Amino acid sequence: MTNSDTTGPHFAINREIASPKIPPLWRRLYSVWFRHVRVYTQNIFSNALPPFLEPLLFLVGIGLGLSRYVTRTMEGLSYIEFLGTGLLMTSAMFTASFECTFGTFIRLEFEKVYDGMLAAPITVNNLIIGEILWAGSKGLFFSFAVLCILTVFGIISLPYSLFVPLIGFITGVMFATLALLVTSFVKTINHFNFYFTGLLSPMFFFSGVVFPVADLPGKIRPVAELLPLTHSVRLARAVCTNRYSVSLLADLCYIIIFIIVVGFFAVRRLRRRLVN
Amino acid sequence: MPENVITVKKLNKSFGKLCAVCDLSFEVEANTCFGFLGPNGAGKTTVMKVLYGKCLRDANTGTVVDVLGYDPAKNELAIKSLSGVVQQEDNLDDELNVIQNLLIYANFYGLGKAVAKRQIEYLLEFLELSAKAHSRIKELSGGMKRRLVIARALMNNPRLLILDEPTTGLDPQVRHLIWGKLHQLKKRGTTILITTHYMEEAFQICDEVLIMHKGKNIMCDEPKNLLKRHVERFVLEVTDSDSMSVLDSPELSQHVRIERAEETTRLYSNDTEKLRALANKLKGAQYYLRQANLEDVFLKATGRGLDDKQ
Repeated sequence: MTNSDTTGPHFAINREIASPKIPPLWRRLYSVWFRHVRVYTQNIFSNALPPFLEPLLFLVGIGLGLSRYVTRTMEGLSYIEFLGTGLLMTSAMFTASFECTFGTFIRLEFEKVYDGMLAAPITVNNLIIGEILWAGSKGLFFSFAVLCILTVFGIISLPYSLFVPLIGFITGVMFATLALLVTSFVKTINHFNFYFTGLLSPMFFFSGVVFPVADLPGKIRPVAELLPLTHSVRLARAVCTNRYSVSLLADLCYIIIFIIVVGFFAVRRLRRRLVN
Repeated sequence: MPENVITVKKLNKSFGKLCAVCDLSFEVEANTCFGFLGPNGAGKTTVMKVLYGKCLRDANTGTVVDVLGYDPAKNELAIKSLSGVVQQEDNLDDELNVIQNLLIYANFYGLGKAVAKRQIEYLLEFLELSAKAHSRIKELSGGMKRRLVIARALMNNPRLLILDEPTTGLDPQVRHLIWGKLHQLKKRGTTILITTHYMEEAFQICDEVLIMHKGKNIMCDEPKNLLKRHVERFVLEVTDSDSMSVLDSPELSQHVRIERAEETTRLYSNDTEKLRALANKLKGAQYYLRQANLEDVFLKATGRGLDDKQ
């Protein structure tokens, strides 16, 4: 095999890639993540504007209307501060959930994008974990967008709150694992409606976003403690107000254990759908 | 002794009770083009998927699957980094343009930016897509998409190229272009594994053909040997069955093999004179005397009727 083979010098093979090597783990995860970033940023305007507009809409609506009537403080915060710090996490929750339900399902069943990717030197586990990391990144970006709006309106103050997108990342990762687990069961795309209406919407209302968990009836409170969003919201408020307590360690532990356990089953079940 | 790029012995894959691949064995020599022929549902795609780890084979003792020296069940990454795969669907990212699609895959193979750029330029030129470098996927024709998927599979200069029905649904011009490219790749030392429904394609580009039916290896040989050994040299096709009654005589079946399908009756024989004499008796009827081809072998081997998987 030489450069002078009959195909002519014009089509002589590019010899820079003489012996392909298996890319290291970080590189494999990065390429999955990069694929998603590349596709997302292709329509940067329509993809990146809504995360800023949505909290804006929410705060204007609540600020102009409802907050006049809500005069009591909640956990030592004015209502708009209380709600605003909660929205940092719900935006991360929703974006990660959309990405790993509808987004994943479409890539899996309709576009067959994963089939192509799995022909490249990555494993199914690399693919799924890359997916989770991407959902975490979206959580980071979406909570950053809310943070910008909250800061511009003077609802929360810098610099401590600058760390809150990191909690957005962890929240995104957590909800990505749950969403992927749900996706591994789903046969038709319409089934996701049950997940959104049945689990995510209740979480929005009962996880201490719009009112404190402490105000829930005694029997329901333990249920609220089981919901993942409750723990994200507590961490986010602590970071924004720079008021920490030992009990936050429990919230952090909950999130870490949730990610490991749910992530384990999500990867295992989804792998069977990708490799059979 | 020629080196084997793929060695498969007693491969089984079942989905529930259905045996998709049964006891399949074959070997692919380096620098050859090996073709899989078979009706839909014969198990061709499943075999391809087992080879690069997309599908897990049944864990039987005695099964050997060796691709480029690796077992896909243990070392799928090594196999994937040395091979390229063109799947049945054009699974490109529709939102991105041609170059961006390729850049994503350059990343998967760990190519640096400068190397990736040159490799993409080279691949686009090789598959005659340079003019479309900045087009969106939606603006490409079916043939261009297919060529782009092939370019993508060549990103790592693979030693083994696996193509699953690469030319299905394409016009003759693009098919011929793709055959030409596959010839060039083979000359440079790429081993090619291809599945196809087109007999002509298998005859044109394959050094060896395996006919598969219901998960089993029906026959495996060089295309010209398949013709020589498994089917008569000539065929007389009679397209209106009514006139066949003219030919009905007891001694006919001694000289020719008769195959009856819906509206067409085919008479096979090695003796073209005999067939010509029969044709003359048909007078006004429509008939066609031709050489037997791989399609005749295929239909003889796999039957003319459809089964429930087709």
